[in-house]
Amino acid sequence: MLRVSEVTIERPPQQFRYDLFVQTGEIAAIQGVSGVGKSTLLECLAGFIHPVAGDITWNDVNLLPLEPRERPVSMLFQEHNLFEHLSVRDNLHLALGKDNNNDIHQAALALGISDHLHKLPAELSGGQRQRVALIRTLMRPEPLILLDEPFSELDDDTRSVATGWAREQARLRQKTMLVVTHQAEDVTRLADRVITLV
Amino acid sequence: MAFYGLLSFSGQPFQWQLLQDPYLFSILRFTLWQSALSALFSVLFAWPVALALLHLRDSHHKRWFLSLCVLCFVLPTLILITGIVALLGQSGVLTPFLGEDWNIYGLSGILLAHIYLNMPFAIRAIYLRLSAIPAGSWRLVQQLKLNRWQQFRYLEWPAAKSATWITLGFVMVLCFNSFAVVLALGGGPKSTTFEVAIYQALKYDFNIPEALLLSWIQLIVAGGLYLIVTTFGHVSWLGQEVKNRTFLPHPSPRERRFYNVVYSAAWMFLLAPLTALIPKTRDVWLDTEFWSSLIRPLSTSILLALMTTLLSVTLAYAALQPYRKALRTRSSSALWLDGLASHTLVVPAMVLSVGIFVFCLPRMDIDQWGFFLVMFVNALVSIPFAITQLKPALASYDQQYWPIIQTLKLGFRQRVYVEWKFIRPVLMTAASFVSVLVLGDVAIYSIFGNQDFVTLPWLIYGYASTYRIAEAALASVVLLGISLALVLLLEKQRSRNA
Repeated sequence: MLRVSEVTIERPPQQFRYDLFVQTGEIAAIQGVSGVGKSTLLECLAGFIHPVAGDITWNDVNLLPLEPRERPVSMLFQEHNLFEHLSVRDNLHLALGKDNNNDIHQAALALGISDHLHKLPAELSGGQRQRVALIRTLMRPEPLILLDEPFSELDDDTRSVATGWAREQARLRQKTMLVVTHQAEDVTRLADRVITLV
Repeated sequence: MAFYGLLSFSGQPFQWQLLQDPYLFSILRFTLWQSALSALFSVLFAWPVALALLHLRDSHHKRWFLSLCVLCFVLPTLILITGIVALLGQSGVLTPFLGEDWNIYGLSGILLAHIYLNMPFAIRAIYLRLSAIPAGSWRLVQQLKLNRWQQFRYLEWPAAKSATWITLGFVMVLCFNSFAVVLALGGGPKSTTFEVAIYQALKYDFNIPEALLLSWIQLIVAGGLYLIVTTFGHVSWLGQEVKNRTFLPHPSPRERRFYNVVYSAAWMFLLAPLTALIPKTRDVWLDTEFWSSLIRPLSTSILLALMTTLLSVTLAYAALQPYRKALRTRSSSALWLDGLASHTLVVPAMVLSVGIFVFCLPRMDIDQWGFFLVMFVNALVSIPFAITQLKPALASYDQQYWPIIQTLKLGFRQRVYVEWKFIRPVLMTAASFVSVLVLGDVAIYSIFGNQDFVTLPWLIYGYASTYRIAEAALASVVLLGISLALVLLLEKQRSRNA
């Protein structure tokens, strides 16, 4: 279980406080008005921001002393998810290893980007880039997945396919997932529970 | 090490009485005078050319012109000197039209060479600022029906004002530290600068205390000037011009004629000394003795450039690591480290060379280690140029990719792979830039070099100073070819980076 206990983050002039938990294998949608600290929470869980007070534990292991690369977390950022100077295939191989070629191909087929694997990220649309980043994040071995607005650039049909695929993968790979989203449909299709930040 | 060397030599005291020597003041006066005039004329002539570049339509030859500007600024000085002598020397092509009083040696020759070397830098710096004026401002100028003077006064001058002042100061520092031009075209003690005086004190008179005192004065004045200039900011000149302007007013026919004349004159001015070399070479093209005498200096120069470039770029990359770490952790020391990495230019090449020379003199056989000392000092001097290229690329790489690298938990080899792929073009740009600078070095070689490993520029200097202009011209053409290839590589990589 992920437990965030009385965590305080200072980002002058703002101060954010969090107190929540997510069960192992659960998919939680994080919602709240702009500026309430949704992305800040994910960055804190991934280790890029340090709280001034509180505790964060994953299966009773304290995450706070760990560097980002030591945490059991795979994160999709709002931007800069892909190395722009590497092809899509190289980006995926780098994150997932070359042994997963078959899984990568299946995922790319499912999300409609299999024809773009040889391209550079700059040659892709915003939605295509998000789908590549989604594959890369969900197929990583880490058990805790953090997605920061992963479907914001997708049209309705693609969004439906992508949320369905994400839910299926999370279940299959027994991931615990926190998804920041503004869209009510994403919550309905994907999440088990909504955590509203105020 | 250099500063330790500059502090004393075997306990010999400084010759403080030199400070009252009128010779010293005449050197200081002339050095400041020629550098101020060179900077003023370089920037003054650059303005109309930059305006012409801005207002004339985009074309292939305009891109070539901008590449030529890069070539001229980094051009090995001895090529230019040979070209100027071929054009305006005693038996130069244009000399008969210049009257009987004309003499290339002295202030006129120095100014001409300095303007040639630095005006292209000023053109690019000013043009880059002008090309960044947003389309909305040009529309407003049209809408308000401003006349040409008002357009310059309220739009063009404010856009490039800071670049103009910084360029003026920077060019003055460069000309203050000029060595090869003054050595070859100075024509005697009346037109001596600090760098040449230091060289003469060290290599001809072997008066080390005098060389040290002159070096300190050079360091204080040039370093002080440089620090003042950089307080006002840095000037960008190697960037790509903004090409997505959607609107630019059409110049009137009169303006257009003016721009065409200015632009053509700039082309002619920049090409004349280079093309003047060609006819002079015809007597030695088939001279096998000349070609065999060229092989060793050419190989030495290429080997020296390769090894120095490798050392310089590696040191620059290593020197940036603490800065990157400080930037990633948002530490305040990033600013301090940034300043340290950028201000190596405060110490001129000649001063650094003298310091290291004096430090090494009692400790090793300088003649025996000359090649490596030339390499080492050239690498030290060129590090800031390599850092200028690498720093923004690495900062942007870290800013963009540090979080993904962390979240993907990439191993050392994977990180090297990703970073190498990203910075390779920038490294190539830095390497070409450093190579072309090292290829043209004369100042550092003049201190540490010897007859065992003559470089190509020193060979050219040897030919030119013994009036063997045909040989000097052909050797210059060879050096020009290599420099041109490096500049084209640099331009290609730069446009890829952009």
